[in-house]
Amino acid sequence: MAAGALTTFGPAVPGDAARARALRLLLIAPVVVLIVVFLVLPYLNIVVMSIRVPSTRAPYAPGFTPDNYLRALTDSLYLGALARSLAIGAATAFFCLVLGYPVAYHLARTNARFKGLLFAAVLSPLLVGVVIRSYGWIIILANNGIINQTLRGLGWIDSPVRLMYNEFGVMLALVHVFLPFMILPLTGAIQSIDPNLEAAARSLGAPRWRVFTRIVLPLSMPGIQSGTILVFVLAVSAYVTPMLLGGGNVQTMATLVVQQLVDAFLWPVGAALALILSLAGACSVAIYARLTARTMRRLGP
Amino acid sequence: MKALVEVIRDPLRFGFGAVVIAVYVFLLLPIAIVVLASLNAGEYLTFPPQGISLRWYGSFFSSQPFMDAFKLSLQVAATSMVCAAALGTSAALYYVRFARGGKEALRFMVLAPLLLPEILTAIALLFFYYQIGLGTRTLVGLQIGHVLITLPFVFLSVCSALYNINPSLEEAARSLGAGSWTVFRRITLPLIKPGVITGAMFAFIISFDLFSISLLLKGIGTTTLPIQLFDYLRWDYDPTAAAVSTVSIVMTLCVVLITDRLVGLRAVRF
Repeated sequence: MAAGALTTFGPAVPGDAARARALRLLLIAPVVVLIVVFLVLPYLNIVVMSIRVPSTRAPYAPGFTPDNYLRALTDSLYLGALARSLAIGAATAFFCLVLGYPVAYHLARTNARFKGLLFAAVLSPLLVGVVIRSYGWIIILANNGIINQTLRGLGWIDSPVRLMYNEFGVMLALVHVFLPFMILPLTGAIQSIDPNLEAAARSLGAPRWRVFTRIVLPLSMPGIQSGTILVFVLAVSAYVTPMLLGGGNVQTMATLVVQQLVDAFLWPVGAALALILSLAGACSVAIYARLTARTMRRLGP
Repeated sequence: MKALVEVIRDPLRFGFGAVVIAVYVFLLLPIAIVVLASLNAGEYLTFPPQGISLRWYGSFFSSQPFMDAFKLSLQVAATSMVCAAALGTSAALYYVRFARGGKEALRFMVLAPLLLPEILTAIALLFFYYQIGLGTRTLVGLQIGHVLITLPFVFLSVCSALYNINPSLEEAARSLGAGSWTVFRRITLPLIKPGVITGAMFAFIISFDLFSISLLLKGIGTTTLPIQLFDYLRWDYDPTAAAVSTVSIVMTLCVVLITDRLVGLRAVRF
């Protein structure tokens, strides 16, 4: 098969081998050029930008300095935002896991005729832009939103309950935005568990919760791990939702970075902050992957 | 009825079912609310709604900034779709059929825009464009950013299509004397068409909704629909925003339905 694949677009005449190879490289060359020029170089450039001297008149002044990092790592505003970003990321991943697991289990095991429709329901939020989904939550949670109007209509409250412009609103919307990213890998992991294992344990007299904690949960650990990492990474760098539902009251690292770039026009500071956020996120993921790998070995089949 | 009694008698199962239904409601609720709000006749978002009206759609279609942003988003998304489809398909073809050394590195490279945080990529491009003198005065930079982000979707979907076709079909064509281009046009392309179309559909939708890249790379005075909506929502929650949202939800739905008619969405596999 490999040899067959090789000859598929191969030379019609043996002497054409070099020309055929050149033609094949033409298939991949545009993409490689695009990625190297517009992804690899720009990312390397961020590192350089983060040690440049900030300036209010131009994007940066001549010379290099470590000050951007020093300032970011000693200022309690930035450190607080970093801690908040990581905490929001971890909490979002946790709540997505708790809410997503039952749905993923149901989706993986159901034989319902409308299974396709259920899949569509899980996927559909992904096809609606994040601004629109956050707006949906604004309508529900705002001071004169649906919940507050209903409560006032019922005469239960006089002044509106504050449901957004705080961490609660941001968290709720983030969990909603990223839930599909948890459900999909979990469903895949649970689907690959042989249902006969559960049936066997049940027939040997294990109660349902025990079947879950001893069989389903350990065997779905790979899905749990990839789902939580994915949601954590996405939530840590989320910008739109904290901005719209936090309304400036919830400063995360991502909102601070954009503020430095767009409003304050301090590009080197923004670059340093963005890199610190990415590094902190990557370290957290690495530690977490270590810990879960150990748990997986311990629980392993 | 018997099943219902059974379910109620088993509290664990009952609780499980209730949680599953609640999560589905949670997933769909905000989207349904946006659609309902756009049809509300009242000045403000009231609940229950004060009658049904299309006035907010009128206000959307007569708003110059929203219409300009809508047109720009369609244009950018269509361009991204075409570019990503061409580049992603050729990259997938090379990756599946010819790549030998460094196959994993190549895959990682093409998927990198998907794995890196979008906001970081946006920042990287903003700095880079400024330094190479491209700037953000034209839409070229914004468009390149959109192609970068949408490329992996076409690549993944075409790769899985390529893995699922039988290479002996191509071999047979070759042995009967067809040249490389003929084999591609007459055999490979028709067979991977569902993968290409599905990937292109995703590219269109993702590009249409892309936020961070557009936020940082938009030129002065030009803006895409998600950004325009975002700016509007920072000051005003009136149902015009709901009408704008509903139009883009319906448009996405149309793209999905057209794709389903063309190739059948069961072909979606990443």
